[in-house]
Parts: sequence; structure tokens; C-alpha cells
Amino acid sequence: MAMIFEAAAAQTAGQLPGATEPGSGGNAGQAIGRMWKAIRSNGKALTGSVLLALFVLLALFPWAIAKDNPSAEIYKPTLGPSTAHLFGTTSYGQDIFAQAVWGTRETLIIAVVSGVLSTILSVIMGLAAGYLGGAWDSVLNFITDVLLVVPTFPLLIIIVAYLPKVGVPGLIAVLVITGYSYGARQLRAQTLSVRSRDYLEAARVRGERRFYVIMVEIIPSMTSLIVATFLGTAVYNVLAAAGLQFLGFGDPSSVSWGTMLYWAENNEALQTGQYLWAIVPGALIALLGAAFVLINYAFDEISNPALARVPITRTRQLNPILRRLGANRSG
Amino acid sequence: MRYLLRRAVFFVLTLWACITLNFLLPRLMPGNPAIALLAKFHGRLNPAALKAIEIALGVNVHQSLVSQYGAYLHNLATGNLGVSITFFPDSVSSVIRGAILYTLGLVGVTTIIAFIVGTLIGIIGAWRRGGWLDSLLPPIFVIFTAIPPFWVGMLLILVFGIQLHWFPYDFAYDPTLTPSLTLPFIGNVIEHSILPAIALLVTSIGGWILTMRNTMITTLADDYVKMARAKGLPSRRIMLDYAARNAILPNLSGFAMSIGFVVSGAVLVEYVFNYNGLGYLLVQALDSEDYPLMQALFLLITVAVLIAILLADIVTVVLDPRTRAAR
Amino acid sequence: MRRLKSFGVLIGTVGLLAGAAACGTSTSGGSSSGPSGVLTLSDESGALWTCGFNPFNPNVSYLDFGPVYEPLMFVDTLQNGKISPWLATSYAWSNGNKTVTFTIRSGVKWSDGKPFSAADVVYTFNLLKKYPALDLNAVWSVLSSVTQKGSDQVVMNFKTAAVPYFYYIADQVPIVPEHIWSAIKNPVTYNDADPIGTGAYTVKCKPEQITFMANKHYWQPGEPKLAEVLEPAFTSNDPANTELATGQAQWGAQYIPDIKTFYSAKSSSNHYWFPPIANVSIFINLKNSILSNVAVREAMAYAIDRTNVSNVGESGYEPASNQTGIVTPTFSAWEDTSEAAQYNYSYDPTKAEQILTAAGFKKNSSGIFVSPSGKPLSFSILNNGGYSDWVASMQVIQTDLKAVGIQVTPDNLSGTSYDDALLDGNYQLAYGDETGGPTPYYEMRQWLYSANTAPIGQQASSNFERYSNPATDKLINEYGQTTSTAMQHSIVDQLEEVILKDVPVIPVTEEVDWYQYSTSSFTGWATPSDAYAQPAAYQTPDLGIMMLHIAPKK
Repeated sequence: MAMIFEAAAAQTAGQLPGATEPGSGGNAGQAIGRMWKAIRSNGKALTGSVLLALFVLLALFPWAIAKDNPSAEIYKPTLGPSTAHLFGTTSYGQDIFAQAVWGTRETLIIAVVSGVLSTILSVIMGLAAGYLGGAWDSVLNFITDVLLVVPTFPLLIIIVAYLPKVGVPGLIAVLVITGYSYGARQLRAQTLSVRSRDYLEAARVRGERRFYVIMVEIIPSMTSLIVATFLGTAVYNVLAAAGLQFLGFGDPSSVSWGTMLYWAENNEALQTGQYLWAIVPGALIALLGAAFVLINYAFDEISNPALARVPITRTRQLNPILRRLGANRSG
Repeated sequence: MRYLLRRAVFFVLTLWACITLNFLLPRLMPGNPAIALLAKFHGRLNPAALKAIEIALGVNVHQSLVSQYGAYLHNLATGNLGVSITFFPDSVSSVIRGAILYTLGLVGVTTIIAFIVGTLIGIIGAWRRGGWLDSLLPPIFVIFTAIPPFWVGMLLILVFGIQLHWFPYDFAYDPTLTPSLTLPFIGNVIEHSILPAIALLVTSIGGWILTMRNTMITTLADDYVKMARAKGLPSRRIMLDYAARNAILPNLSGFAMSIGFVVSGAVLVEYVFNYNGLGYLLVQALDSEDYPLMQALFLLITVAVLIAILLADIVTVVLDPRTRAAR
Repeated sequence: MRRLKSFGVLIGTVGLLAGAAACGTSTSGGSSSGPSGVLTLSDESGALWTCGFNPFNPNVSYLDFGPVYEPLMFVDTLQNGKISPWLATSYAWSNGNKTVTFTIRSGVKWSDGKPFSAADVVYTFNLLKKYPALDLNAVWSVLSSVTQKGSDQVVMNFKTAAVPYFYYIADQVPIVPEHIWSAIKNPVTYNDADPIGTGAYTVKCKPEQITFMANKHYWQPGEPKLAEVLEPAFTSNDPANTELATGQAQWGAQYIPDIKTFYSAKSSSNHYWFPPIANVSIFINLKNSILSNVAVREAMAYAIDRTNVSNVGESGYEPASNQTGIVTPTFSAWEDTSEAAQYNYSYDPTKAEQILTAAGFKKNSSGIFVSPSGKPLSFSILNNGGYSDWVASMQVIQTDLKAVGIQVTPDNLSGTSYDDALLDGNYQLAYGDETGGPTPYYEMRQWLYSANTAPIGQQASSNFERYSNPATDKLINEYGQTTSTAMQHSIVDQLEEVILKDVPVIPVTEEVDWYQYSTSSFTGWATPSDAYAQPAAYQTPDLGIMMLHIAPKK
């Protein structure tokens, strides 16, 4: 569902020539600088960034926050929350808080690594199809379109069903393969619309190699779309990975939020009053996803001035044309 | 027309690709469906019996890949989807028949409601930009799309099922009733589908709102809308008849795409609620490594999505003259 | 992912425990009041019923083999394999234990009113021969012929003496009517929606519920005592457990988490009993160069706190095993306690480390023992990732072994891949179980008999650890040829010594039957003091015996 962002970004980006025209040659550095400044000033993006930073800290230094070994089945089982165990213990006597904190690492790794790999694959497939055109375009685009229409979770299920064992690398691999298609589609569309721009013609006439053109001219001009792709894919991957782990894939003896949910479900946590065991990991997944979504949401507004927030003024009934002008200025 | 033709060709090609993928996957992957039988009847089956059942199930037959493919296509065409291992000796198609209506109901109704409500909110939100509706609802629902639908389901079970006892939260209907086309039974089914539907709705509506809103905003910047306002047409008329009508169309193609997402979400939601639709069956098949059932379900789900996309394409062509003037 | 329900579908080789000779033939009270009462059984299967009742289909036979179809004799696991007559009134071994002759009961009718006879028995067994897919227990691997003698006797000849197969033949084969089954085109895929059997019940089915109704043609007078037994379909554990707790269902075959709080506490008539049947053990790949050193295996056996594994991993439901391999208390009569005391395999991490040190192992800088040739005691342990309780138990085992300097890393595979690796011997250590049988011999044979193993890379049927010893084989063969209980006990004692001395497997916890029952309206339940049958409602044909004993309270 977060893919909708990329659709929105591409839609509007494509329709407003000013938004992505970088001038003579794109400058990724400038784009990133603009993004950073815009994030800082946008409340939603700031919240999202702070949340994400928090999770990254938890993933990097879990021992600083949770002293217990998350897998150790050494406590009294099924305890409620207390000062010794902030979220209580599982049916096996493990500290739920420790599991939640240590689980951040695996979840974040899956999200980021699969997000990055997926985005890279999207860029390659999308750009290649869009830029090379012809037979390349038809074949690559067809593959992407097929993967796009196939419902991803059932496909994931089918693939992991046949794998003997699905550890983190396996999960990442299947997530990348099934999740790259949306980004690839948007990037291809964007490439197509940008391909015929004058500055690229100029580069071609100059005799620059295609690879140079792609790397130096085209990719930087799509920085915002690429970042949007990454963020959208990251959310999708977090949810899909959690779903698969919830079903019992991805090594149940590892510690991650998804496997916590698996064990909670298996031990009928909700029905036996162990609410926190089921609620906490799901809430964390939701928060991580929300972080990505918030950043992405504001990103949308950043990259497309037309969508920028309009401050509520009492002059709402004013001439709508004036209103539009006002929006442009603050965006 | 050319557009439609292209879409139809795409449909056929994709269908073929999915069928072939479905055929190749078990043969490409490590693991042996025949071992699934051995595992299922763990040690209780002697090798001779195993061999005989394999033949009865049509598993592990020693034919060339091409002739297997031919047999597979033929079976598909004649509706022979094989025999389920979990529900042996029931055929896969009879197992599916028992579940398909419930998923169609849940997913279909949820998607339509999400589309309608989300689009409306998006339209109004875009029209009254900066208003409370726009500042509050879209961000909230968009954030909701990042929440795992099955976890929302678990929360709903906890609050509305276990604590408050407002709604049932297990199965698609009361197992003491016999399915029939009577009002009380249908009412019972609806009652059981409320919580799963809410879980799916809440997590999918955000996408609709966002796309609709963004498309609306861009549309509102168009000249003809400015013209309409300059002409002094009433606000609501411009919003609905001019802007929304044109803004909806790109949304429609997204509609079909999102069915894939809703179906994906439905798999886990059905599992959490033990709602015996196709998604729940898929997880069950997975559990017992019932490959014939798994593959048939996957194929069915994919074909359904493809058909929905094709239908959406047809509707787009019918409604939007711009697409008829093909690229 | 679902709680381990393999027990549930563990039909087949774990024979029916028939016992209750008293139950079989008595007419309690002799009142002419006929069957009464409606018992509700809670056995969650995760799906609606398919309403097929083919007793040779392991998917469904646990439903009707016992109450609807019956065997020749009943063997009671919980009473050390006590044999009771059923459709056969008596049996006799002859010809050096290579022939067994059954005398078939007269006056028995099929539920459609037609008479039952020895011909049906002969027909059933020859049906198994004709369709190997029906011969779930491979009885024809030892039988050479089954023929009728006279009007009421069936003579079965064996290729070689295989007395233990009596259990599979007499207790685990449902007798089906010739007049129905001879007309079936393909008995393997036959749905059998309206089963005609000799049992105490007939059956009516809709996907949401199976109803067993008293069979008016039943051959035991005054039986069954129940008019109806209802078995609703449950798609998840929770509603099944709730019905038990509230008394809506009175007989359960459920796994209930935290059973004291969520079941026993709900009513004083709620009781449960989990009789242990077989072991969950660590299989040690004896072909592995390091693990072939008996010191390593011994050390592991001393290092594991079985009671802790049972408490944490199995919530205390599955008792700790012991190294003799004898499941206690079910088979305590077979345990050679003096031998066990000699080796004394209790939880003793100090002793474990002593054994390793004495064998020349030294701890390295990470605290892991290293062999004299420099190989660390670091292994992967294969586990079935789909059984959450095994995964949880494995974590305790992992911690215990780590504490004595042995490192194991769990390799949680899915069902088929797990079986693949286990059967092929592609593992170093593995956590698994056997199906066992009515006496300890069955599990030991599965563990130790060399005919049950295979070279690495080929499928072994049950001897996964690749144990092979001609002396042990000889013992196992001798057992197969004798009917003398004294001989049997002596051989089992020697087999126990093998397991104690060679440590080919390390039994950790004991698998149990899941069983809950309510005494508020019904009586006649199987209890530890009256273990007339295995009480699990999925155990064939024991569930049929249960359904004959249970009666409404007056």
C-alpha cells in the first residue's frame, strides 16, 4: 500500500516540469541538500526521522537498553509487567522487553538491506527498460509487469514453502525479487519522460557514453523518486517479512518482532491474558513502518510544491487563484 | 481500441507466465513433494504404500518435463486441479469451492468500500486543502497503511471480541449452523466478517485517500477548472463533475493493482480470524505442505487479480476518451 | 506452526490399545434402558470435516477406526500390551510361531444388518495385499498367506517368525465388509462417506460436525451406553479449549496452554491426564567422526537437564525421559532399574566435563571442548521448525550443552526438509521421535535394528542414527520369534544396556496423549488407576474402547 507514494510522486513529478528539471546536468548533492533542509522544516518528516533514528540506535546498541539475553528461558514464565520485566515474560520465561529491543536489529536489517537491494534492482530494471528501449524495454517491462500484478504475499508464501529453510538472507532475497517491480515501473516511466530532454540530447551529441549519461545525468535527476522508492519498499518489506515470520518462516529460534508474534500466536497469548506479548512486537512494527511512511509522506510534499501544506488561514474563502499563488510561495 | 487490444494481449501473456511459473516452481525448488507425503504420514507408511499413493496422487511421475507441462496444461483446461493431500481424497477444486465465496465476499466488499470512502475523503480533502479533514484524516490513514493488517486484526480480536464480546472473531460463520441461502445464515456470515473487514479497511484506505487527493490537487491546477471557477459555477459542482471525474480515472487503474495488495493482506487477516476463505486455506496448505492445493490457490488468486485488472482497463477505456486515443 | 498434533494423527503403527476385557463383555446393570446421553468431544483438527471415513486413509481413520470399524483383538499399551478378544475370540500360535490362527466371533452383524464372518477378515487382509497403499503397517512384509479354515477360523502364515507384528495385524487393521468393498473400484481413493462397520456406532456427518449414533445391531449386549457422541469441527485451538473449559464438551484431545488456569480451575469436575507413550530423543549421527566417540555421547547424556526441558519447553506436560529408553511410568515394569542405577544418567554437568577431560578433550579459549586432534565439539542440531514446543525445548538443550563446553546450533527446517535430512542422515545431531508401540520393544527396534537403517544419503526408515550391531540385531530377531514374556523381558533388559552403554540416542522428553475429561455428567473414564485404553480421542482403535466405557451418570 505504501507503493501509492511512489505512484503519487511520479504522477505529480512528471506533470510539473519544474519539479525535476535539474538544469544542465543533475546534481545529486544539491538534491540531497534540498531534501535535508526540507525534512528539517517539515513536522511529519522530522517525526519520522527521529523515530527511525531511535530504532537505528536500538539496533546498534541493544545491550545498552536491555541487559537480559532475549532468548534465555530463565525467568518465571507468564509474568505480567513489573520493574524487573517491563513487558513481562513469555510462556517460556523469556523477558519480552529484551526480545523487543534485541529484535530491532534483525527487523531493521531486513528492512534496510532488502530496501536498498530492491531499490538498486528497481533502478537497474526501470532505467534499463526506459533508456535502452526497444526489445530490452519490452522484455524487461514484461517481467516487471508480471511481478507487479501477481499478488506478492501469496507468491512469497509459495516460494518459501519450497525452500528447505528460510533464514534472514533467504527472506531478503525473496523480498527483493517480489518487491522491486513497483519502483521499477515508476522509474521506467520517469526515465521515459526524461529521456527526450534537451540536456540529454546535448550529452548524446557531445558523444558521452550511455553509461555516463545514465549515471551522471539521469539518476541524479530522479533522486527524489529513488529515495521515495526505497522508503516505500522498506515499509513493504517490514510488513511482508513480519507476515512470513508470523507464519513461522525465517527460523523461529531467532529474535525478531515477527518471530515474537509467531510465538505469541502459538501460545494463544491473547486468549491466555498475555496481551503484551502479542501487542508489543506488532506496535513496534507499526511504529517502524510509520516512521518510513512519515518521511515518505513529507517527501511527497517536498518534491512536489503543489502538494505542500497550506497553512490554515481565515482567508479560506478568498479567491482560489490567490490561494494557489500563496501555496506556491510557501512550498 | 488499440489500447484495449494491448491490454488483452498483456493479460494473456501474463496469464501464461503465471501458469508456467506455477508449474516450474515446485520443479525448480529443492525438496520433493513426494517427501511431503512421507512426512505427513510420518513413518506410518511403508515404502510400497507410499509409492502406490504417489501414483494415485499423480506425484513423482517419471515423464519428461515437456510432457509433464503438456499434461499440466491439459489438466488446467479441464479443471482438474489434482487431489489435496490435507483433505485426501477430496479434490482440490472441491476444497476450493467451499472457501471461495467467503474470500470473494470479504475482499470484494472491503475493496469497494475502501475505494469509495477513500476516494471521497481524498476528493473532499483536496478541495478543502488545509482544512481539518485534510490535515487529519489523510496522514492518519496513510500511517495506518504501515501497520500490519494481521496485527490490527489481533487488536480487534482482543478489544471487540475477547473483552467486549461485541463481535464474533472466529471462523466465517457459526459452525453449528449449516450453510444455506437463508437470511439468518447470511446475517451470521456478515456478523463474522465485520472484524476482518475492519482490519483490512483501516489498513488499505490510506492509499486511496492519498492518490485521490494528490491527483485531485493536480487536477485542480488545470486550466479548465480555473475556467469553471471563473465562470462562477457552484463549488460542489466543480469538485464533483469536473475535477473528481477526471481525477478518478488514474485511480481506477490503481484500483486493480491494489487488489493484489488487499488479497495479500487478506491472507494473514483470514489466518488470524480463522476465517475459512482462500487465504486461510493457503496457510493451511502451507502448514501441511499440501502442494497441489497451494499451487491451485496461488493460480486462482493470480488469475482473479488479472481479471480484475483487465476489467478495470476496460472500464477505463469506456469512461476515459483520452485512453481511447491510443498512444 | 500449529501445536504438535502429530500425536493426533498418529494412527497406524501405534496400535490400538485394547484392554478392558471387562468392558468388552460385561453388561453393566443389565437394564433394558438402552443407550442414553450425548457426549461432546473436542478434538481440534484445524479444518472442517471432509466427511470421508475410509479407515485406510490416515487423514481420517482416527475418526472412525474404533467406534465404527473394529479390529480382531485389542492391545492395551497402557497395560503393557495386554491383549483382549474383539472380533476374534481367541488366537493361537503354532508352527514355531510362524502361524497364527484366529477364531472369529459369531453372532456379529454389520451395521446394515448383514452377517459378519471370517470371510470378511480374509477379504480385508487380501485387500491389503492387492492394494499396498492400504497396507499402512506393511503387514504383508511378513505375511505369506491369509486363508479361511472351516467356518470361523482364519489362518495367517508368516514368511519368518515375527511375533511383534501381531499388534499391527490384530489391533491395527480395521475389518471391512466384503459385500461393500468388493464393489469399490479404487479403495485407495474411496471416500466411504457412509461407513458400514461392526462397531458400536454408526456415523452421520456434515462439515461442521460428526455425529456418532448407537448401532442397534452391535454385537455386545448393553453397548454402547451412549446414545450419541458429537464431534464438532474446530478450526483453531481456542474455541475447542473454551468448550472444554465451560463443559460444553466433556472429552478433550486438546493441547491447552496453562491448563491449570484455563481448564482445571474452571470446574472441580475438569480433569486431565497425559499418559506418556514414546520418546522425543536426540539422534546422534554415529557416522560422524567426532560423535562416534562414545565419550562425547555420554557427556551429552549427562549434561542435559531433562526435567528443565520438560518444564520450560513442554510446559511440564511431557515428563522427562531416562537413558534406558523405557517410557515411565507407562512401561515401568520393563525398566531394569539396577542397570540404570549402575550408569546413573542423571543431570550431572560436572560428570559430563569429567568424562570429556578423561577422554583427552581440552577446553579452548571460548570454553568449547576440543578433541585431541584439534576438532571442536561444535555441532548443528536438526530440528523440526514447525513444532514450536520442540524449538522451545531445543533452546534449553542448547543452553545446557553450552554450559559443559559443547556448542550446538539449531537448524530449524520445515517438515519435508526436516524429514529429508533426517531420513538421509544428512545431519550431525537431530531432534526427533519414533512412533513406538504397545511395549518398549517397538521403539527400541525402530532405534536399533540395522534393517531399519541405510547408508548416509539413502533413506533409513527409522534407525536414523545409523546404529548397527550384529549382536543387537540377534537380540531383536530373537524377540521376534518368541511369545514367552520372560524371554521378552530379558531381551529388553539387554537392549536397555545397549542404549545405556552405547548411547546411540539420548531420550529427552516423553511424548504424551492429550486427554481431558469431565466427570460432572459422565463416568467410565480411563484414569491412571484404570488404564483400560489409551484415552486420546485420536488413538485408534482405543477411542472405540473409550466410547464403550463412557456412560452417563445416573
